[in-house]
Parts: sequence; C-alpha cells; structure tokens
Amino acid sequence: MGLDAELERLLAGASRLEKHPLARLISLVEQERDETRPRKAALFRHLAAHPETFPRRAAVIGVTGTPGSGKSSLIGRLALELLGSDAALRVAVLAIDPSSAVSGGALLGDRLRTHFPVGERRIFFRSQATQGDLGGVGRRTFAATRLLRHLFDLVFIETVGIGQSEIEVTQLSDTVVLVMQPLAGDHVQFLKAGVMEIPDVFVVNKCDEAALARRAAHELRSALAYAKIGGPGDDSEHRVFLTSAVTGRGVPELAAFLRTSTQPEDPDTQRRHELHFLRKAVAERYGRFGLDEVERAASSWPAGDATVYEEREAAVLEAIRARVR
Amino acid sequence: MGTAIGPTPICCLNGTHDARKACIAEVVDGVATSYARGLDAATTQGYTAGMTRDDAHVLHAKDGSPTRDAPWIFRTYAGHTNVRASNALYRANLSRGQTGLSIAFDLPTQCGYSSDHPLAGPEIGKVGVPINTLDDFAILFQDIPIDEINTSMTINATSMWLLSLYVALAEQRGIDASKLQGTTQNDIIKEYLARGTYIFPPRQSMRLIVDMYEYCLRGIPRWNASNICSYHLQEAGATPTQELAFALATAMAVLDAIKERGGISHDDFERCVGRVSFFVNAGIRFVEEMCKMRAFGEMWDEITRDRYGVTNPKYRLFRYGVQVNSLGLTEEQPENNAWRILIETLGVTLSRDARCRALQLPTWNEALSLPRPWDQQWSLRLQQILAFETDLLEYPDLFAGSPVVASKVKALKEDAYTEIARMHEAGGALEAIESGYMKAALVRSQAERMARINEGDIVVVGRNKWTEGLPSPLLGGEDGGLFKVDPASAAETLEMLTASKSRRSQAEVDASLRALKDAAVAGTNLMPLSIRCAKAGVTTGEWSNTLREVFGEFRPATGVEGQQLRIEGARVDAVRRRADGWAAEHGMRPRLVVGKPGLDGHSNGSEMIAVAAKHAGFDVVYGGIRMTAAEIVQSAVEEDAAVLGLSVLSGSHLEIAGLVLDELERHGARDAIPVVLGGIVPDSDIPALKALGIRAIFTPRDFDLMDVMDRILDVIGAPHDAPEPRVASA
Repeated sequence: MGLDAELERLLAGASRLEKHPLARLISLVEQERDETRPRKAALFRHLAAHPETFPRRAAVIGVTGTPGSGKSSLIGRLALELLGSDAALRVAVLAIDPSSAVSGGALLGDRLRTHFPVGERRIFFRSQATQGDLGGVGRRTFAATRLLRHLFDLVFIETVGIGQSEIEVTQLSDTVVLVMQPLAGDHVQFLKAGVMEIPDVFVVNKCDEAALARRAAHELRSALAYAKIGGPGDDSEHRVFLTSAVTGRGVPELAAFLRTSTQPEDPDTQRRHELHFLRKAVAERYGRFGLDEVERAASSWPAGDATVYEEREAAVLEAIRARVR
Repeated sequence: MGTAIGPTPICCLNGTHDARKACIAEVVDGVATSYARGLDAATTQGYTAGMTRDDAHVLHAKDGSPTRDAPWIFRTYAGHTNVRASNALYRANLSRGQTGLSIAFDLPTQCGYSSDHPLAGPEIGKVGVPINTLDDFAILFQDIPIDEINTSMTINATSMWLLSLYVALAEQRGIDASKLQGTTQNDIIKEYLARGTYIFPPRQSMRLIVDMYEYCLRGIPRWNASNICSYHLQEAGATPTQELAFALATAMAVLDAIKERGGISHDDFERCVGRVSFFVNAGIRFVEEMCKMRAFGEMWDEITRDRYGVTNPKYRLFRYGVQVNSLGLTEEQPENNAWRILIETLGVTLSRDARCRALQLPTWNEALSLPRPWDQQWSLRLQQILAFETDLLEYPDLFAGSPVVASKVKALKEDAYTEIARMHEAGGALEAIESGYMKAALVRSQAERMARINEGDIVVVGRNKWTEGLPSPLLGGEDGGLFKVDPASAAETLEMLTASKSRRSQAEVDASLRALKDAAVAGTNLMPLSIRCAKAGVTTGEWSNTLREVFGEFRPATGVEGQQLRIEGARVDAVRRRADGWAAEHGMRPRLVVGKPGLDGHSNGSEMIAVAAKHAGFDVVYGGIRMTAAEIVQSAVEEDAAVLGLSVLSGSHLEIAGLVLDELERHGARDAIPVVLGGIVPDSDIPALKALGIRAIFTPRDFDLMDVMDRILDVIGAPHDAPEPRVASA
C-alpha cells in the first residue's frame, strides 16, 4: 500500500515541521488498531525510503526520575539551551502522564512547566497518556519516537517516573538520564538492589543553592561508589550533573554533554529495540503463546532489510493466528 | 457584684474583650468611638458586674447613657472603563452615602502591564480602572479629599507601585503621607491559590510586602500595608476550616517574614501586628459564618499573644472587612441573589463581637455581568437600611453566652488549629504554595462542593431546586440589566499614556528605574525608590518589568493533578461510554485542551472542567493561566486536540474568541479543532460568539459538570450508545 492523498499532504507539512500535520501523524502512529497498520507501514516505508527529506538522525534521550524531581522543568530548560546553542538544531519532547484506571482519562500537565517560544518550528512538544501500558512507556511511545527520529535531532522522552517505565524507557532510548532531588536517594537504592538498570547520566536537580548542591553531589558519589556501578575504570563520576531549572545552573554543561555523547541508535540496537516491542505486542495478545514465533522470525530478519516494524509485526501476528486456527 | 447569668462570655475568656476595650485608645479605620465606648459600658454593667438589672440588652456610652454603635464603613467595589469614568462613579457613590472607596483595577494594572502591552489589549478597563502613571491617579482622585477618605485598593503584585502613586499624589497636593488611610490588599498567597494576579515568585513577593510594612510603620502609619484575604479562598472552594487555617497561616508567614528581616524593636513589631487586617468572605450558611468570624477573632488574639508575644491587646484585635460571597450567586432567577446578599450580610453584622469594620456587597446580577451604577446603589441601600433603619446597632453582642455558638466556635477553632499545625509541619504557608499543597486542597474541596450541588445534596434554589419560575422583569430595559464597557474607551487611556510619556524627563525615568533595579538586587527597601519612580512619570509596565528582570516570574501549581471528582452513577457512566465510543472510533482518547487566555486569573472554572473531563474519560491538557491566544492554540495544535475549551471571566470573551480562531486559521486547523467557551457570557453575546464560530457556550448556569461534558461530546461528534433521557441544561 502506498501513500494516500491525506498521508502525502501530512508528510509534506511535517517535512517542513508544520505543527498540525506533524501532530496528526503522531496521532496516526499512536493508533494500535489492526486496520491502521497498513497506513502506518506505508508511512514508515516512505520515511525510510526518503532519507534526503527525512534523515533518520535523532538521538533519543529518556529522562526518568520520581515525580517531583523536576523533570519537565529541566527538559524545558535543556531544550531552550539546545535551541539557542545551535540555530539548526531541532528538538522534540514527548512527555508521558498516567491515565486514570477508573475513567481512562488523564491530566497531561507537563506542558505547564515548559515555556517554549510561540511559532518556533524547531521545537515540538507532545503529551502522551499511559492508557493501558502499566509502565507508561509503551508501544505508542515507541511508535511516536520512531516517527520523531526522522524529523528531529534530539528527542526527549519524559517518563511518568514510577514503576515499570524506568526499565522500559531503556528499550527505546539511546541515552537514559536519571533525575533526582537533592538528598533523596531512592533511586540509588533501586540501583543497588538491581531493580533498575544503570542510567547513563545522573542529574541532581533543584540544586538551587550551592551548599545544597555540594551535599547532594557528595551523597550521590558515595552511593555510586558503594554500589560499585561500573566496576574498575567506571567513569560514572563524570556523568553526574548538578542542575537547577530555576537558576539555570548546570544546564549548559548537561546540554553540551548530551549533545556530544548521545548517538542515534545503530541498526543492531534498532533491531533489539524493535524485537523488544514486538515481543511485547505478541505477549499482550497471546501471553507466552507465540513468543517462539517472534524468535523464529527475528532469526531470519536479513541485515539491512528495508522492512519496517509494522510489516514484521503483521507477519508475526499472522503466523501466530495461523497456528491458532 | 451580682451573680452572672450563664457562662462567661467567650470574648472575656481569651482576651478579645480586653483587646476591644483597648481600642478606645485608637479609632481604627475611622470607625467611630462609640463602638468601643459602648462595649466598655456593656462590660461594666452587663457581663462583669453581673446581669442583675434588666439592661444587659442596652448599649451604654462611657458616661452611662444609652447609645448605639456607629456603622461599619460602607464600600462598593468599583472602577471601570478609564480614570475619568471611574472618578465620576466614585463621586456619585460618595454623594449617595458611601463612606469609603474600594478601587477595582483592571487586569493589566494588576498584573504589571501598561495599557499598551499586547497582553493588555482586550482587558483595558474591563474589570476595573486602568492606571499607567501618576497622571491617571490625579484624575482618578480629582475632587476627592484623599486626606479624609479611607481608600481600599484591591491590588496585590503591584501593591507597592499603586501605594507609591498614592503617596506621590499626596505629595503633589501638599498632603502629608501620615494623613493617608486605607488598605492595599497585597496578599500574594491567595493570588497563587485563587485569583491569579501574581507576578513574582513567593519569596520575592513576600519581600515587597515586608518592605511596605517597614515603610508604612513610620511613613504612612494609618495605612494597612496588606490585607490577609480569606475571601478568595472561599470563592475557590475553601471550607470554613480551610478559610480560617489558610488565612491565619498566611498572616503568620507575613509576620514571620517581618521578624526574620529584623531591625525593628519589639514595640514596632507589635505595631506591625496591629496593622495586619483581614478581608473575609461570608457565605450563605450564615450561622456558621458568624461563628467563623468569632473563631477568627479568638484565634488571632491567641496567635498574636502566644506565638508573637504581643502584649498590647489593641494590636491583637482581629480587624476585618468583608465582601459577601459571590460564588453562591446564581445566573438562574438572578433576583434571588438579592436575598442571598442580605442573609450573608447578617453573618458578619449580627454579632457585635465579630462585626466587620467595612463591608462591600456584590450586586444581584454579578453572575451575569459587571454591575451597573444602579445595581451598586441597590446594594448600598441594603447596608444603609440595616445600619440606620433597624435596631441592630443598639445592642451589645447578641450571642455572648450562647452554648450553641460557643460550641460551634470551639469546633471550628480545633479543626483550624489542626490544619495550621499540619501546614507548619510541612514548612508553613509559603512552602505549601510552592509544593501545591494548599492549591490541591482547595481544588478538592471545590470539586466536592460541585459534586454535592450536582447531586442535589446542597440545595441551591432556582438552580437545582424550584427551577421553574416567572421571567425576571429586572432583566428588561434597554441594557437588559447588564453593564458593558465601551470598547472605544480604551483609546482615551492609550492617548493619555502617550501624552504622559511625552511630557516626562526620560533621564529622570531612566535614573529612577536604575536605582530601583539596584536596590532590588541589593535587597534594600524598595518603597522610597518606587515613590521616586512614581514622581518621575514611570509607567506601571516599566516599574513591573524592572522588578521582573531581577526577581523573575512565577508559575504556581495548578492543583488539578491527581484530583478525583467524587461523582459516580448512571450519568457519569453514560458520559464515559460516549467518550469510550469516540475513542474506539478514532483509535485515541478524545483530547481536550483547556485554555485560560488573557490576564484573568480566576482559574477555578477551568480547573473544575479539567478535573471533570478527566473523570469523564478525556485526556486533558491544562496549561494554567495567563496564556496568550497563540500559546493556547499552539498547545491545541501540537496535542492534536479533539476540542479546545476556553475559560474567560473578564468579559473579554468576544475579543479573545476572535484571536483564538484567527490563530487556528493560521495553523490550518480551524476546521479540525472545534472551540467551546465558558465564562460570564451575557445571553446577548451568545449569537455573536456563535457567529464567530464558537461551537458551544457555557455560563454559570451550566453547573452540572457531566452535562457540560455531554455537550462537549456532542461537539466532537461522540456516539450516543444507549439513548437515555437527558436533563436539558436550561
């Protein structure tokens, strides 16, 4: 299936970073109904086939940390810093908030804490509700991220900050940033207990006062040393940043570090990420049944194949359905 | 001494009574002396000496002769269009027997923007008078004796600036500043919670307040530098306990900040405590409200004595003014509001020990529009009849000794002290603002109140009970019973601003602003420098921007996150099924972007809608207050909103709707994103809004939240799965 006229129109607008067409495309890729899959596949095939218009260049930065650690405000400051530092840079933010289990509705409040210039196409902010995904970072996040990778240079994903999302976000990010409040060592406890994977960057936010910042840094460094995170030669020491979204302290340094240290995913990583979300898609429908089908399919994916994720997902689900029949 | 009948009056138990006696020594705020004299007499002859004679009901003057109290100060909250029109209104009100001024400023003035700022455009002169420079003040107070009149200014973030203009005006007229008397509202905490005209962060705002207390102590000793407001807390949904606790915690935060600054003697500190006054709300549950006022008095006396060691009882007196409740006034059968206002007035006047010192009443049509001069006159007449025709002011306190009242007051106090302790454990009032604790508590109370009205658990006559009635003849006449500001009147304000700017010395303007900025950085008192700015012809926007550069701007918590609406049942289920149906059709949940455009900060309505929409199954994006049309539309476009909801209470709905629709057009999303609007919209404006392209309009009449959701679902074309008879919304 090729592009329909509507998709063509939306893609033309999105390539110029016009906000409404891009917003419509995100809504499209977020849909999980089987009948939208062919359109999504057509969209992603087109994106992959036109690297001159849609270079796949964005690095994805997952930002996690407990609610209240100031993730939104910090991302807001970082994005502004990045936009200001390079007039060609394009930044997208995908911020996730929890849905109510009772009504299914959600309050998406992260936008409140960012102040982006009006009419600036180089920055795009979108909220996402967790809906069914317990962890918050789910297949819809994965799909939106894949789209944004083609249009921007940096994509920030802000997690809900509790539970599964801490783990899931590593499956679609190139860099994971853990944001903490001064003197709140919960995450370090999680790290020690092995509940959480090791983040790439540690940020102690809300370091509005110098004395507080020093104490917080000391506490974090001793905890990291105790947890023996990287083993010998570990450089986690150099990946600790002290920031304040209020005063702007530490923001330029963190922005520069993220800019230079984060690389877009390579084909192997991309494949690993896709495999993760394919397993998830199958497990959501069939439980453990059929997971072997995923492995069988994955082993036969040729390297450098132009097949897009949606087509792989369709093939695997079809194979499983055939077995069920 | 004879035997006292009944329990000792409450006011004698806690020192309030002593405090009241002591106020013989000072007539505060121009209330006549017989008030205190009478109390003294009543004490000697009535309570203390024992009620052996039958004259415990008689109010005696100091010389033993029967007397009556002087009434409270009569005020009307007023100001609109421009300085010339407002000056005419004030002079007319004074000639009709009003005894004090209560000035309403327009939103740009309150938020620190001159009339020529882009955000100011649609708001100039709408909800109050626009003030840009000293020239405006000269006209506003023309032929009004500012050395005699008591002036209350409803101004907060820019209080220091407006007081500076007043002082500069006095100087211009050769009046000593020590003669000026009145109040700047200047309670920033409730601005973050309810009213929304804040500019600077909490700690910097508190610094401005403390600067003003410090300056007023010597410079303008009869001025109340701030007026702690529980009024707006009740409008935002506060229960009586929350009103007591949050207001008193705010007052404590102010006094703590003054103490922390240091540099003043304990005697001076006591005088500062004596200048703290309150602005309180009075709701329809008037017995409880009266008890609340008694609780306020007792608690303030106890707090100032025990926490701050204030020894002089007169400085521990709880001095308060009132505007009775506007929240409970209905758009339906609006004439009923006249009775509500009367009853609410009784709550703050009946009990002599807890009587207000100044009173301003809303008007019967406040839920419909801004009041006309006649509406204000009608409310003023109520006060005059109560004070002069009835025998109310002839008696000592009517409730002293009532075990019912005593017990109710005790219960309120206990609950309020518990809440205050909870807040202090969490770091005090400023911390509770920064963490969003207070805001969340208010949004929760408001949501509960709305839910109870929805369910008929709280009866509101004409709204959820006895809704059938004859049409009101009061809404007849040429103007339909409504007041509208002439949009052309802003031109005069802008012309005056240009003229004022061309007359002043730019060198002196620059120098005075530079001095202001340096002092802001250095931390020295900003009052004298602001007065210098006022005299130099600096504008409201210039003064505010200079401080914005140093202090930054603040955006507080919205309080809506994590909130649950406590209504369930068939109505909610039906609405949720429709939202689910839409979601199934579109492969995503319907998204509602709630926008609060412009400078109007009354965010309760938009917050309730946000919470209700989540409850109904929408994904809701709420960006808080003070957004431009362009910002709101950008949010709606980026979020691919199914519908954009605007909340406008300032009367600027036509202008704002136009701006928003133009912005949508620019994004090519005008057809894709329907717009609905809620606010104080007179029926006569509805056709114009519809013609512009607004798809649904909600007014205070639409109190049933699920009904509002249903109509929004209609706009986005959500399916009706199981047609059920719906209650039509008027």
